[in-house]
Amino acid sequence: MRESKSLGDRLFSLGSYVYLTIFMIFCLFPFWIMIVASFTKDIVLREDGYLPWARVWSIEAYKWVFKGSEIQTGYMVTIFVTVVGTLCSLFVMSGLAYLMAVKRFKGRNKVAFYIFFTMIFTPGLIPWFITVRNLLQLHDNIWALVFPMMVQPFWVFVLRNFFAALPSEILESAYMDGASDATILFKIVLPLSKPALATVGLFMAVAYWNEWFLGLMLLDFASFSPLSLIVLKMVNNLQSIQDAMKYPGVNINLGQIPTLGVRMATACITIGPIILAYPFVQRYFVKGLTMGAIKG
Amino acid sequence: MTSLTKDLGRKTTDTQNKVRPPKASGLQKSLRYVQENAILFLLGAPALILIFLFSYIPMMGTIIAFQDYSPRTMFLSPWVGFRNFRLLVESPIVVRLIVNTLSLNAMFIAATTFFSVLSALLLNEVRAIGFKRIAQSIMFLPFFMGWTIVAMVLFGLIDYQVGTINAIITKFGMERVIVTDKPELWPWILTTIRVWKGTGAGCIIYLAALVSIDPQLYEAAAIDGASRWQRMRFISLPTLTPVIILLVLLDIGRIFFGDFGMIYAVVGDKANLYATTDVIDTYLLRALRNNSNYGFSAAVGLLQSVLGFICIYGSNMIVKRYSQSRGEDYTLF
Repeated sequence: MRESKSLGDRLFSLGSYVYLTIFMIFCLFPFWIMIVASFTKDIVLREDGYLPWARVWSIEAYKWVFKGSEIQTGYMVTIFVTVVGTLCSLFVMSGLAYLMAVKRFKGRNKVAFYIFFTMIFTPGLIPWFITVRNLLQLHDNIWALVFPMMVQPFWVFVLRNFFAALPSEILESAYMDGASDATILFKIVLPLSKPALATVGLFMAVAYWNEWFLGLMLLDFASFSPLSLIVLKMVNNLQSIQDAMKYPGVNINLGQIPTLGVRMATACITIGPIILAYPFVQRYFVKGLTMGAIKG
Repeated sequence: MTSLTKDLGRKTTDTQNKVRPPKASGLQKSLRYVQENAILFLLGAPALILIFLFSYIPMMGTIIAFQDYSPRTMFLSPWVGFRNFRLLVESPIVVRLIVNTLSLNAMFIAATTFFSVLSALLLNEVRAIGFKRIAQSIMFLPFFMGWTIVAMVLFGLIDYQVGTINAIITKFGMERVIVTDKPELWPWILTTIRVWKGTGAGCIIYLAALVSIDPQLYEAAAIDGASRWQRMRFISLPTLTPVIILLVLLDIGRIFFGDFGMIYAVVGDKANLYATTDVIDTYLLRALRNNSNYGFSAAVGLLQSVLGFICIYGSNMIVKRYSQSRGEDYTLF
């Protein structure tokens, strides 16, 4: 395309670069503060506060973070919940999506409405809490972080649309040849749906990784918390930093712990894996969002 | 065979029309149907059961809004009719909750839509592919941060003692600001956070719409002497208008189901900020954690569900009308 080079156009072009640069700084600034603070010596933090630049660098906060037993367990819990949750979620959601995509199943509109209704009528927090906690007795247990969010109606519909768009002759002829539905799903449908599975799986993985609400609601007496909940507790009080720093048999008073740095270091290790994976998986998220816009 | 069929409910028709060959009964048919498709149903069952457990039982559980709840009897507590709702109408808190929910959400929708559209339009003007790609990636990144991380960062920025903002302004000899004592600031803080987290994700959809514009249109306009501003104003923006309308309508539909865990995580339980930040969800959360009157709280929750249902249904009708008039269908149902 030929560019006209009038002054107005150049100013306009400059303006868009300036705006975008400012917006990028706005997006990155909080990360910058977080990372710098996590590498600053704690005494300096106490004096200066969280500044964009450290006077004295140090990795003491990370040393404490990786020694803390609650944080170690938290990491394990978060990894377990993310991996197991995402896999289970993909498994059950694609099963349901397949049920709705199979043309010979006549009740598929009823099933779709059954799922859809939960999207437009949410029951409210109190009955949900009573059901999960008192009726199903799902609390203080690692599965309390996995089951309640395993089926997301929106992604079920996304998967259903993807499955339904596959060439139906292949599926029907496989069925005519005597392949069971399980075989068709696992041997034909899922291998053909890798892009959709990757997208849905990644969204679920991020959701599980960041999940804190279920922990807050359902883990009262448990000896473990997911990482994101530890972060929240650290925001709200200093006490839990002390808890996080518990070592078997050793007594440490709070004054010795670099609490200000530890907070930011914990936040950094929580987002670390997401940031590391981000460049490789970004395009799947872009795809997921546009998929959602078309039919959501 | 015939006796079985008779037993299974088509007795009258079968005895009356003896000439006809015996048909399989409805139940028998469906039994065979289930048997033939057993694996298919088994594949779908786990998710259907999970939905039943975590959505439908709580949905039925909303009846506690009409009960005097006690933990022993759970959903079978004694009925009190509309008592909880009478309390709700009299309670000054409910108006505040609804007003906050609506006004905060309106601010979120307006701000994120504005910045998403602006960013998409300007990204579309950028010719340097590398810059465009990096800008998009960086703006999208905050989308992946959990609310607890956001809460931590916000603490780092605004804390009275060590927050970045206070640290910097004291360097210039100004007074520290106690942000947690200023409820009037919080709607703006929360909106800023929403813009920070949501703009990158929001502009992706608009960018996708912009990509579909035929480049010849821009070229023709350029030859006719349209400046870049004019091309954006008269080609790009009109293309986005229907998308903007649709997305805003869908957002309005979900206005009562906003992601309000966010407010709980970010604001915490600060009583002096309730005036501007307390919304229905945070109120319910607090009610749960303080073990207060569940029946009353459930009534507040039910009110939210019903208002939410009306909103989503209404907005969907409008979206349907609007998109059908354009020969498309963007509706949920």
